[in-house]
Amino acid sequence: MTGKTAKAIFWVGTLSSLIIFLWLTYDFHQQEPKYAKTDKISAQVVAGKKVWHKYNCNDCHTILGFGAYYAPDMTKAYFRLGENNIVSIVMNPEKVYKNSFRKMPNLGVTKEEAANLVQFLKWVGTIENRKWPPQDEKFVKAYKLRETSAHTLNKADIVMGACGGCHSLENLGRSIASDFNDIAKTTSFDRATLVKFTLNPQSVRPDSGMPNQNVSPATAELIADFILSLKIGKEVQK
Amino acid sequence: MIAYESQRVARWYLELSLILFCLQVTVGLWLAVNYAFTLPQGLVDVLSFATSRAIHTNTLVAWLLLGFMGGSYFILPLECKRELYSVKIAYAQLVIFAGTAVTAVVGFLFGWTQGKPLLEIPVPLDMLIVVAALMFVFNVAMTIFKAKERSLIQWMLLSGVTFLSVLYLFGIPFFSNLNADYYYWWWVIHLWVEGAWELITAAIIAFIILEVTGVERKVVEKWLYVETGLFLFTGIVGTGHHYYWIGAPDYWLWWGGIFSALEPVPIALMVLDTWMHVKERKNPIVNPLLWTYIIGLALFHFLGAGVFGFIHTLPQINYYTHGSQITVSHGHLAFFGAYALLNLVVFYFAFPKLKGIEKFDEKLGVWGFWTMVISMVFMGLIFGVAGVLQTYLERILDIGYSTAHMSMMFWFKAVLFFGVIFLAGVVTTAYHLFSLKKAEA
Repeated sequence: MTGKTAKAIFWVGTLSSLIIFLWLTYDFHQQEPKYAKTDKISAQVVAGKKVWHKYNCNDCHTILGFGAYYAPDMTKAYFRLGENNIVSIVMNPEKVYKNSFRKMPNLGVTKEEAANLVQFLKWVGTIENRKWPPQDEKFVKAYKLRETSAHTLNKADIVMGACGGCHSLENLGRSIASDFNDIAKTTSFDRATLVKFTLNPQSVRPDSGMPNQNVSPATAELIADFILSLKIGKEVQK
Repeated sequence: MIAYESQRVARWYLELSLILFCLQVTVGLWLAVNYAFTLPQGLVDVLSFATSRAIHTNTLVAWLLLGFMGGSYFILPLECKRELYSVKIAYAQLVIFAGTAVTAVVGFLFGWTQGKPLLEIPVPLDMLIVVAALMFVFNVAMTIFKAKERSLIQWMLLSGVTFLSVLYLFGIPFFSNLNADYYYWWWVIHLWVEGAWELITAAIIAFIILEVTGVERKVVEKWLYVETGLFLFTGIVGTGHHYYWIGAPDYWLWWGGIFSALEPVPIALMVLDTWMHVKERKNPIVNPLLWTYIIGLALFHFLGAGVFGFIHTLPQINYYTHGSQITVSHGHLAFFGAYALLNLVVFYFAFPKLKGIEKFDEKLGVWGFWTMVISMVFMGLIFGVAGVLQTYLERILDIGYSTAHMSMMFWFKAVLFFGVIFLAGVVTTAYHLFSLKKAEA
């Protein structure tokens, strides 16, 4: 190979790649509104993104798969956890992760900041990114189902939608708090206490680490019934 | 044994770089502790994983850049056959750069951050970095323009450092749109490591190979053209392998997949040409350790950046491995293989000359090299095992995050074990370089 050929390889290689890349970049911006739903980026979403940056969330969590791998990906966190759980976790991590093998720092996030963060994560969740991460797709589907056709859902789906951010039910949900089967086995609460506990845990057990759940009283009743039904099921089995 | 007085500025850069390397690895061990054990809430509240990680990655970038800058200042006078344009600028730039880096690290501890991974330095400090970069590029450019002879290595180095500085700008603004944010974030991160930094590496290595082997310049320059041409050809569009899951059009799967699958080719060529030049050397081997480092760099560069990058670059695989410990495995092997070893080659090339030693006693340095290389291979493999396991549990068996990650604690104890050995290797190497002695005849 002559020096001239080598030089030609350099220039043709570099410039062709650069031209393709710049052209694709132009097209990326053209198509951005479609993929990133840019019209849904409200002032609150932007404020939420600033909260995301302010507390350096991205150096523990990934988002769109980028960042540190120390804590779960946040791309579809809105669907996985729901508004309520995000706020409780962000504001009281020391309570939520009291028994966890890994801790999240309490960074003093205010209520307003947490609310903005939720809006940011809600918008991020709507980015069309080819259903990544794979493990969260089930939460996205479940969320959409609850939104559109709640009447077709069984109780377990509704309960896990509201509580699955911390509690598990066999292979569903997360194992931050107890499994519903264990709760059913050990609880001595009656229906009314269970409802009261769900709405405001500390009013029943002041030392409880569970944050307030702003579910409707109707949903709280449904959750209570669900727990009690598991109890009967287990006892009958015995 | 330096040929030009102004080469001495390099010493400050390289020594500071070496100290930051030790600091970076120490903080890395602390990160492994965060993974391997359950830490008390009180400690996590004060020093979070996020803060430590920001320090780990920023000290990495700082020591690599200091090495590049020091290395450039050391070889430029030789390549241009004249003193640096300005020694004063070089010192002033070092003070600004190092001062900013220290301020940034202290700032992280108090939560002063831009909150973007790897680019956490807040905007006001970014501006100081830009000033330092401008001074550096200006100084390099003026030294080259005032040289009597022009060479390919000179302008490849200049393009590399200019490209590096320009790309940094894309990480500074606030983007309200997260996917555009990450689109340009990769212009810094990816186009640095697979573009600008590769240009600098190729230029510095070409120069050092030329110096130590004494092969013909024309041959080295030909390889330099072909390799950098292929680096940029595959690397620029190859950025697309980061755009699979950010919310971008489908064609990225093709462009990103195909171009990035070709990324190992120029690195393989680098292995080949290093091997050939070493074989066809005209000069005797004075310091075998330097040659070991040169060959080690070529091979580890290929393993870490080439092979470990290739295995998860195709979208079909990346869908499962993206954002997992597999990325961590690749990241460690690639940064160590391509850039940490490059800096160490520069250190072992420049330190003896700066200290006026022709043939140095290399016993400790050999220990340092093998300790680092072997323990890093183990760390990379363990991160990889942890990543495959994480991916399998979380994304294929669909087990919840916490359960899947509890199993990580074991693997990170293993990482910690090899991390301690790696740190021992780093400290040995640093000590060896700082206390370099003449070999006994």
